[in-house]
Amino acid sequence: MIRPEEAQRPYTVTELANEIRRELRPLTALLLKGEVSGMKQGSKGHYSFVIRDGQSLINAFIYADDARRVTTLPEDGQVFIFRGRVDYWIQYGTIRFIVDQVEFDDVGKLRARLDELKRRLEAEGAFAAERKRRIPFLPRAVAILTSPTGAVIHDLQETIWERFPNMGVVVYPVQVQGAGAPMSIARALRRCNQEQLADVIVLARGGGSFEEMYAFNTELVARAILESRLPVVTALGHTSDRTVSDLVGDAECRTPTEAGARVVPKKSDLIARLGERGRRLDREITQRIAREAERLAHKRERMVQLLPSLVRQRADRLARAAGELGRLSPIAQVARREDALRERARRIDSAAASRLARSTNAFASRRAVDRLERALSERFAGAIRALGHREQRLAALSPDGVLARGYSITLDAESGTVIRSAAATKVNRRVRIRLASGRIGARVEEVET
Amino acid sequence: MSQELTYEEALEKLDEQLKLLEDGNLSLEDALKAVDEARVYLKVCTERLEAARKKIEVRGEPETTE
Repeated sequence: MIRPEEAQRPYTVTELANEIRRELRPLTALLLKGEVSGMKQGSKGHYSFVIRDGQSLINAFIYADDARRVTTLPEDGQVFIFRGRVDYWIQYGTIRFIVDQVEFDDVGKLRARLDELKRRLEAEGAFAAERKRRIPFLPRAVAILTSPTGAVIHDLQETIWERFPNMGVVVYPVQVQGAGAPMSIARALRRCNQEQLADVIVLARGGGSFEEMYAFNTELVARAILESRLPVVTALGHTSDRTVSDLVGDAECRTPTEAGARVVPKKSDLIARLGERGRRLDREITQRIAREAERLAHKRERMVQLLPSLVRQRADRLARAAGELGRLSPIAQVARREDALRERARRIDSAAASRLARSTNAFASRRAVDRLERALSERFAGAIRALGHREQRLAALSPDGVLARGYSITLDAESGTVIRSAAATKVNRRVRIRLASGRIGARVEEVET
Repeated sequence: MSQELTYEEALEKLDEQLKLLEDGNLSLEDALKAVDEARVYLKVCTERLEAARKKIEVRGEPETTE
């Protein structure tokens, strides 16, 4: 019996079928190991078969798209590892395992392939630290590549906005597991780079098993990360191994919280640090100005100390300059010239006076000389005159005068005595006759007494 | 001069100016200039912090032919 309080609207079959289907949805990206049997290829390119182990079996299905993509097509009797999801086929009321990847039952082989990929990428330098892009210090916005549902995106946004309340977030929903995941991730990475809405990419997933993390170990995703111009931060959850995506990414975080902190700085820290710089700036300039002011004060003090001597020096120089100016001033020059003139005049005067005196003296003496000369000449003239008289008288008294009148004087040649009478001589006596002019020697020829 | 700077570039410039100032080899004029410049960078940094737009945008996968 259904009690009234338990009464509720019954499910329709479809509703229940959908409910079952919804409930089964988490069983996705599963790896299922089992033996293949009843492999049939459908007309549209799909495959249906049964996967079994010793006790159980499950119907399996590979869509045509996936069938083209799988690396190996299973064959009856072989054991494989299938990756896929559980689906409730509502039209037939059956549960199917939708296979999207097939691998040989050999995780070792899968790992060997992964190792081979890692070696190849390493040889290319894809893991090298110097190849890694720098995570921006403060992005304009953060791109989040993750599943649109679940805790991961929530945690990331929380962390980012807690640290930086107005940070932009661009979400690129991607499949993080399942066959389509590598393609979906690679496509989203390319879109991020094309659209340039953010400065950094966070590729996130909430952890998982080796198989669940499969997409992040694919070369497709690794290449897309390597090709990205924007830095890629991986936050793939707690896993036993680092994925290839972690290795080629630019920063590797474990949790969304860690990744959020890695890509976005704490705004309050930034503001605090800016504030601190602002204070340093203020302090620097205040100190600098204080120091300058101090230097200035010091200089002023020195100047004050120096001022008196400076003024004295200046005053001295001024006084000297005034003296010089006085000496050079036209008035002084005129005065000095006047002095010089006066001096010269005085000298001229005195020279003239003495000269005059000298001239006067000279004049006086000349008069004296004149007088003297006159006196002398007068006396001389008198003397001359007296002499003339005497000369005249002498001439009158001298025989020469008589002789001039024709008379002559006869002297004995031997004795020189004047022969005043004929008797004073004899014949043949030699006589000398003195004439007015000249003398004559003669001999006495006759004597008449 | 500072419109194209990112927060980090502006911060770097700000630190350069601070270092110059703290090294103390600047003339007073240069020091004042450095302080002015540093203040511009400080302002740029502060503006950059506020300029980030708080928004969340979900970019759905474009329609594919698959």
